[in-house]
Amino acid sequence: MSLMKDLTNGIYKENPVFKLALGMCPFLAVTTSVENALGMGAAATFVLIASNFLVSLFRNLIPSKVRIPCYIVIIATFVTLVDMVMHAYLPALHKSLGIFIPLIVVNCIILGRAEGFANRHPVLNSVADGIGMGIGFTMAMVVLATFRELLGNGTWLNMDVLGSAFQNQPLLIAILAPGAFILLSFIMGFFKILETRKGGCQ
Amino acid sequence: MIEMLKLGLVLMLVALIAAVALSLVNSRTAPLIEIQQELEKQNAMSEAAASLMPDDSLAFDSLSIDNLENPYASCDELLQVVKVFLPPDTSRIGYVFIAYGKGYSSTIQTMVATRMDGRVSGTIILNQQETPGLGANIVKPSRLIDHLIGMNGQECLLKKDGGTIDAMTGCTITSRTVVNSVRQGLEDMNEAGLFSDEIAVDEEHTEGGSE
Repeated sequence: MSLMKDLTNGIYKENPVFKLALGMCPFLAVTTSVENALGMGAAATFVLIASNFLVSLFRNLIPSKVRIPCYIVIIATFVTLVDMVMHAYLPALHKSLGIFIPLIVVNCIILGRAEGFANRHPVLNSVADGIGMGIGFTMAMVVLATFRELLGNGTWLNMDVLGSAFQNQPLLIAILAPGAFILLSFIMGFFKILETRKGGCQ
Repeated sequence: MIEMLKLGLVLMLVALIAAVALSLVNSRTAPLIEIQQELEKQNAMSEAAASLMPDDSLAFDSLSIDNLENPYASCDELLQVVKVFLPPDTSRIGYVFIAYGKGYSSTIQTMVATRMDGRVSGTIILNQQETPGLGANIVKPSRLIDHLIGMNGQECLLKKDGGTIDAMTGCTITSRTVVNSVRQGLEDMNEAGLFSDEIAVDEEHTEGGSE
């Protein structure tokens, strides 16, 4: 039961982006298209699960005073290993996901969940948390990327949606950096309204 | 004091394990990665050369760099030009070269096939790590690099710089890098006399004799 709770926690209640405001840098940078959002989401989810697993496994061996540097080394090492192995044995996958890997190292969701969850919970729960947070992160990215790609390019997942008339004069700002901030603030505001409404009813 | 030493030791141990794991995996994967990249380069070369003549039996031969007088001081990488011919005929039908340029966040490598008259016949982005969703769209041929086809060194210029090529919206730096690096390569080859018909004919004879 508690496993299920840890799993679903990251999807909405503690959504890493919309609720915890973690991992903003890749979130803003990579959401220019739904395809990129899915790629980054998949890569980050994988690393999140593995780093939660490792940190939880060693949580009793690492002295708490140096835990953060240890986590950073563990995560960076793991990500680099994945990068090298993928590049050598799965070149096709590396070609599509490779650009996201350096961005994952600095993704603070991963360090945040290592510090905030995995170092205090058993391995199984940490893995469940990793899966949930990964799904939540991916979903959040797809939401923002949907708006940005639709408005900025007139397409969704590279499929033509708004027609060529729009594509010739798209709302370019949506796909550029300022558009990410503007749209993010709208989405964040929307979730805040939902939250306060709920709070008011209770 | 003792505790500090202990913490230091733990950190050292963690770093040591990480370093050993990384170097072990790196020694296994690095040669494989190199092979992959070489293969990719070969494939791109064949693909680019197919724009000259769609024939599977095209052959390549690197021109030694000494042939080119220009030292290419502006670029980290030497210009490597490969001549393309269709065996058994050894007369060249064009060249393939890689243009290097510093883009927005990476060095962009563009593989370019040119005809003997110095006009571009095909382009492929070989390597880039530009911003995903923006500059990285340079790999989509229709966004920019297809427009280079048919141009010679002088015509290869962005609209903003006085030419006729539209930059990709929001990615002027990436676009300019690719266009300028291709132009630089074409001009260097032109200066080295690779495109002049007389020289091509001359070399054809001498090569035909020696091979």
